[in-house]
Amino acid sequence: MSGVELLVLLGLALLTAGTLAPVARGGLTTAIALQAVGIALLGVGGALILLGAPAVGATFRSGLDPGLGIDGLTGFFLATLAVVAAPATIYARGYLAGVARSRALVTLGGLFLIALAGLLMARDPSTFLACWELMTFVPAAAILVRRGDAGVRHAVFVYLAVTHLGGAGVWICVLALAHYGAIGDPGALAAQGAAVQALVIVAAIVGFGTKAGLMPLHSWLPRAHPVAPSHVSALMSGVMVKAALYGLVRVLFEWAGPAPLWSGLVVLAIGLLSAFGGVLYALFQRDLKRLLAFSTIENVGIVALGLGTSILFASTGDETWAAIAFAAALLHILNHAVFKALLFFAAGAFERALGSLELDRIGGLLRRMPWTGGAFLVGSMAIAGVPPLNGFASEWLILQALIHVAFGPSLGLGLAGALAAAGLAATAALAVFCFVKVVGLVLLGVPRRAEAEAAVEAPPSMRGAPVFLAGCCIALGAVPGLLVPSLMELAPQPHALVTKPGLSIPGTGSLPSPWLLLGLLVLTGLLWRLRGSRRAAPVPAWACGQPIERSLGWSSAGFTKPLRLVLEAVLRPRREIEAVHERGQLQSIRYRGEIPHLFDTLLYGPVQRGALAGALVARRLQSGSVRIYAAYLLALLLGLLVLVRIGAIG
Amino acid sequence: MIALAGAIQIIGGLALAPLLSGTVQALKARLQGRRGPSPLQPYRELRRLWGKTIADPQPTTVVYRLAPCIVAAATILALFLVPIAGLSPDWPLGNDAIVLVGLLALARFALAAASWDTGSGFALMGSSRDLTLSVFAEALLVLALILAVLPAASTDLVAMSAAASGSAIWAEPAHWCAAVAFALVVLVETGRQPIDNPDTHLELTMIHEGPLLEYAGRDLALLEWSAAARHWIFLVVAAELYLPHWGGFGAQLACLVTGVAVLCAALALTETAQAKMRILHAPALLASGCLLALVGLVSGLVG
Repeated sequence: MSGVELLVLLGLALLTAGTLAPVARGGLTTAIALQAVGIALLGVGGALILLGAPAVGATFRSGLDPGLGIDGLTGFFLATLAVVAAPATIYARGYLAGVARSRALVTLGGLFLIALAGLLMARDPSTFLACWELMTFVPAAAILVRRGDAGVRHAVFVYLAVTHLGGAGVWICVLALAHYGAIGDPGALAAQGAAVQALVIVAAIVGFGTKAGLMPLHSWLPRAHPVAPSHVSALMSGVMVKAALYGLVRVLFEWAGPAPLWSGLVVLAIGLLSAFGGVLYALFQRDLKRLLAFSTIENVGIVALGLGTSILFASTGDETWAAIAFAAALLHILNHAVFKALLFFAAGAFERALGSLELDRIGGLLRRMPWTGGAFLVGSMAIAGVPPLNGFASEWLILQALIHVAFGPSLGLGLAGALAAAGLAATAALAVFCFVKVVGLVLLGVPRRAEAEAAVEAPPSMRGAPVFLAGCCIALGAVPGLLVPSLMELAPQPHALVTKPGLSIPGTGSLPSPWLLLGLLVLTGLLWRLRGSRRAAPVPAWACGQPIERSLGWSSAGFTKPLRLVLEAVLRPRREIEAVHERGQLQSIRYRGEIPHLFDTLLYGPVQRGALAGALVARRLQSGSVRIYAAYLLALLLGLLVLVRIGAIG
Repeated sequence: MIALAGAIQIIGGLALAPLLSGTVQALKARLQGRRGPSPLQPYRELRRLWGKTIADPQPTTVVYRLAPCIVAAATILALFLVPIAGLSPDWPLGNDAIVLVGLLALARFALAAASWDTGSGFALMGSSRDLTLSVFAEALLVLALILAVLPAASTDLVAMSAAASGSAIWAEPAHWCAAVAFALVVLVETGRQPIDNPDTHLELTMIHEGPLLEYAGRDLALLEWSAAARHWIFLVVAAELYLPHWGGFGAQLACLVTGVAVLCAALALTETAQAKMRILHAPALLASGCLLALVGLVSGLVG
């Protein structure tokens, strides 16, 4: 038995023990420590295999005998899982202190990790589908254990309904692949012809895309992610959507054979819609966690842009860039897991300090919670995609790949690449807009209510997780080049790249990220010295001479108003102004404005109404009378006999 | 040769940048029939600001105080990326066009965060408009860059500059479209009319001046210099990628100087002839620039 195998088995054993311990009335701290060490060991094992250790365990099979195993791609996703999950479990210790039913939540947390790891390590269709369903149900249970009011129950219902309707795609896709013996055998599906391949690919995009939160099947995500406990939100946004992307990658890049050009274009289009639409709606959210959930849709869209680009390159024969785009998408998966988990951890700490996360009523937390606030600032900059942090590195790679599609072999591809590149650039600008707003409203300025004034720093266990992940953001931003060559090895047509700390890719001007970080630090330090600390007496900020009051503070809606006006035709904002007159005098004005989520009003609403109307019709069939049901059976039998008689079936 | 290019990159960028905005102001005054300030006026202002004390509006945090240093540091790093006359020494920073865009986005983030820190309505109004325009400007910028990448097959600014040299490129309609599209980018990014009015200090109309409102002393000097250097960067990139240049280093340098001078004159002329447009109409202008760039791309890919 190799060392890695031992490591993985030990990790699984500890994780299971940590999950069962609370059930057996063991101490919560012990249980959490076991879970954290277990998932960390799994992650280390995965990382070792990613970096070149031989694969362990079973290989992929289409039969029903269960099997677990780890290859390079699984190793990468396991490492990503561990980077988020180990801090998440430790964070949960502080977060769940004094919370009712914390024992159940710790068990559910462990179960969630087992489901995620099991999904990634599954080597046969039955284990895969079992873990897939478990992964969907456990967070729903965790949400309901924590809070059970009507709004939350509705959110969970939508979550389960949408992911199950969409999830049918996963079942169709995996069962079809198993039927044709294509799991683990790339040639098998290609031999079945283009129609079967198209069916599998479409089912995979719908099924995995729903769970990944790709537009237009994302409606559950901004509902479910905000209501979960923060460490579960971090796992849902950071890892669960990535597990869906893992499935998509397996199908599109391995099992479905060489993916055709059209599937690349479809993934690219969905990715562009999700990236732009996600960040656009994120910008107009008023609740921090809901905003973060929309931003998850954006980032999943960016990953899909990378995957789609990779398919386009592969089908036009450019294997180098296919591998680069593939690695870029994987790198963004890791990066997004890191900074989104960070932001959710910090949001959880803020929520504990304040009670609610309404963006317009926070303010000034950087002074009061320097550690959590500082980490939140780093995470916001990373997710906004500014150098020298990790978000910029992966977005740079994906943008480079899109630009290289733009001067591709055909006009159509070229236009698609250019449009997607321009869309990604606009998305990046919107992300800066969005997260500057978040940083400003949450961390900076004056506290906007008494709770924010009185906020104190979170306990050490809750402080450590975001600070650790902020360090990861900086490290991954400084040396992405150490990881990218290993990721390029995972592509269907691997391509070697020299391992350097920065990214030097042929056809680009290179991204020497360590030097950028160093240059920024040194120059900022120098200028800080030059600037000196001589300063005048403190003065209030200028507001035309009047004292700055809370009512003068800028709101989220005010800051985004120019963009709302510019994009009025797309966003269709609603506003109501009600003026109350009494005895000919204006007494008060009430203003209400909102940006409706157009997917809800234009797409989900009609579908939902249609389904309910259909259910009403169908209900008439259910009279409750046995004789009527017997008549249905007779009619069915006769109908089938007629069909057999005329030769339509049988 | 290459050392001279490197020297101009850094020393030129650091020292000559304020001259550009000074020249535009002086030219504009002449065109409007005024005597106006000398082109050296920005230097005098920087010297004056450098001697003054820093203001410390309450309540602000380290984000506000660090912002000028970060903005200036990002801008200085950006200077290293832009080749001069088609040459750039092997700085360890590379010459990538998208990294340049990223560094300028970092500066924008820092300044907008500082606006939130002061909580001043005027600063926030400015940055909210700036960020709104940046959504459209970045899309346009990337499209214009793609057109310049097309002949070079690389986003390396040195290779792009080399591919755009000579006269053959001007037979391509794509290059003409790219030049016009980038001209719009220059107008937005340098804060010129008809998008923004650099002369106004009327709080309700300004964009780029807004976030600077609370700063004083050396902080303001750093920010004013960064604005000038941004001007320099965009004009040099415009001349290097989208204006005619050919020959060896000497000839290219002469082309660069002429190109930048022509661009300054063109900016002064537009500012005199054009009124500031309503801010909500600016995105439509930028979107039409995007369409033009796409037309250019079609012609480039077909031709």
